[in-house]
Amino acid sequence: MSADPLTSSTFAQRARVQLAKPFVRQAVPRATDNAVKDLHARFAHHDYDGLRELGREIRSRTIAELDVYLDRFATALTANGVQVHWAADAAEARGHIQRICREAGATRVVKVKSMATEEIALNPALQADGLEVTETDLGEYVVQLDGDTPSHIIAPIIHKTRGEIRESLSRVAGRELADDASELTGFARERLRDAFMDADVGISGANFGVAESGTVVLVTNEGNGRMCTSMPRVHISLMGIERVIPDLDDLAVMLPLITGAGTGQLITSYVSMLSGPRREGEPDGPESMHVVLLDNGRRALLGTEFQDVLHCIRCGACQNVCPVYRQVGGHAYGWVYGGPIGAVLTPLFRGQAAGGELPHASSLCGACDDICPVKIPLHDLLLRLRRQREDVGEAPRGERMAANLWAWAWSSPWRYRVLTRVAGNGVRVIAAAGLVGRLGPLARWSRGRTLPLPARRPFSRRQDRDA
Amino acid sequence: MPDSSRFWELAPTELAPTDDPIGRFLAEIETVSGTTVRLGPAELVGEITAQLAAAGAHRVALTADLGDARAVLAQALAEAGLHVSDYEQIAGDRDLVRTLDATVTGCLAGVAATGSIVTGGLAGRAGALVAPTHVCVVEARRVVDGLSTLMRLAPRLGAGSMMALQTGPSRTADIEKTLIIGVHGPKRVHVVLLDGVLAA
Repeated sequence: MSADPLTSSTFAQRARVQLAKPFVRQAVPRATDNAVKDLHARFAHHDYDGLRELGREIRSRTIAELDVYLDRFATALTANGVQVHWAADAAEARGHIQRICREAGATRVVKVKSMATEEIALNPALQADGLEVTETDLGEYVVQLDGDTPSHIIAPIIHKTRGEIRESLSRVAGRELADDASELTGFARERLRDAFMDADVGISGANFGVAESGTVVLVTNEGNGRMCTSMPRVHISLMGIERVIPDLDDLAVMLPLITGAGTGQLITSYVSMLSGPRREGEPDGPESMHVVLLDNGRRALLGTEFQDVLHCIRCGACQNVCPVYRQVGGHAYGWVYGGPIGAVLTPLFRGQAAGGELPHASSLCGACDDICPVKIPLHDLLLRLRRQREDVGEAPRGERMAANLWAWAWSSPWRYRVLTRVAGNGVRVIAAAGLVGRLGPLARWSRGRTLPLPARRPFSRRQDRDA
Repeated sequence: MPDSSRFWELAPTELAPTDDPIGRFLAEIETVSGTTVRLGPAELVGEITAQLAAAGAHRVALTADLGDARAVLAQALAEAGLHVSDYEQIAGDRDLVRTLDATVTGCLAGVAATGSIVTGGLAGRAGALVAPTHVCVVEARRVVDGLSTLMRLAPRLGAGSMMALQTGPSRTADIEKTLIIGVHGPKRVHVVLLDGVLAA
């Protein structure tokens, strides 16, 4: 396994690598613009803001009493004949899934695209057990062929050109495939059809878990979600504990939110609502169904100032509108989740030491807040994480000293006045001498910015005189 | 729960009180590259036979949710020279399932605002999915307004272990956002709106 990019490199280093790829800077904004445009078109005659307020209310009510709904969900699943497994962390979740595969005597596994399985690094563990694992979402399949990682929550190969995808698929085909999206898709369809038919176990994530009815909901376009949960004799769904919603009625709110915010679609081609294994009299479906409920740092957020992040439904909309994500793409963030939601989740799940710099990869413009289908105050959370980084002593020493100095200077009126006058004159001298680009540690900051000249007579002094 | 009586003003997946459910249902299906036809019971068998012939289908499976009409349809299709099976008879045989050219199914419900057809595990999970062509017969009385009505009815639909909404053919835009129709599910979805009931 390769080194963990999050701990072995900095955001700036990773971003530089991505910025050097012209396609990423072209394709990501183009693709994400379309998703946002489609979302607005979808709600041209409806009230997105009103609907997301309902979504926020559902998510916040559920997370506030998460244990109640999880209990209800587990009870209903069990009544439906589903085996429920609790996993405190990634290792436990992998362990459950590995054991279920072993007990089923499985050799082949097919997977539905799932960020939760990326989060627990499931595939390498299954492969180490000798299992043949096939990703069946077209994008994830290409990611797997290339030994790559997805760079967007719902558009995993947004960073790849058609030419690159053609090369990867041609390698598998053993012949040159035409440079045509339709032919490439057709080849993958045939290849993956064999995988569906031969697989012993299908592994999916879960977009929602409905507590009242014990139902796992999968939202897909390609149909692979339904194939993976129909053909293999075992179905395992890995679900973050926060993805539960109270009842079926809530789906009427959450579905248009996730498909609208995610892809700008009214509804995706397929929505599967799975309430247990194949029943008596049913012609197909798995003999057994398992739901693995993953904590992995989620429960620890309950009751903290970060609880709202558990409302997230992983639609990817905040990535689409983020001016930073749109330039650097998902890989610059160094872990599974990129964009604003990644900059919040990564330090929370992986710790400030590993992910603490990510909340700084934001202009705090608030575009993520405005589009989030469940109104998560992402930019507040980013600010709180910046502060937490200071509190736990993970901020760079220079940054901490500067902040302390700032606080000291601003906490008394005379210090403030003296220092702003000194700074104002200082800046004018530096600018006049043409030294802006040579400010030592500040040179990097000034590389992409201009230093505005302060007014000769500060506003505060003008106020004093007028008074 | 959307308790507001004006929920339809918020969500595009609901129907306005002035909308015509059947008209909207058919229009939405066409929007997502499905095809539709509306007819009466007398024309049903002829239409499906013609559709399957046009699709060049030879091996066809019929699911149990076609009810009493299934036997009549099977006989007509066999007479037209097609190789017809009941889906539940072949579901366990992967090699047979793979070679299907088309499946004909009924459905539990249709959702007008989204153009979705709703099928259940009792008729089979993969039946509507495995063949390149899917013909679905929707009785007009089964078309509900929007997602909220469907979700309210869901527990009483008799779906079995799975209830699935499918809206148009399967699709992907993973390669440079180019929309491609027909990935793991069918390439062609034809909805037959039946003014009447499925009966022999």
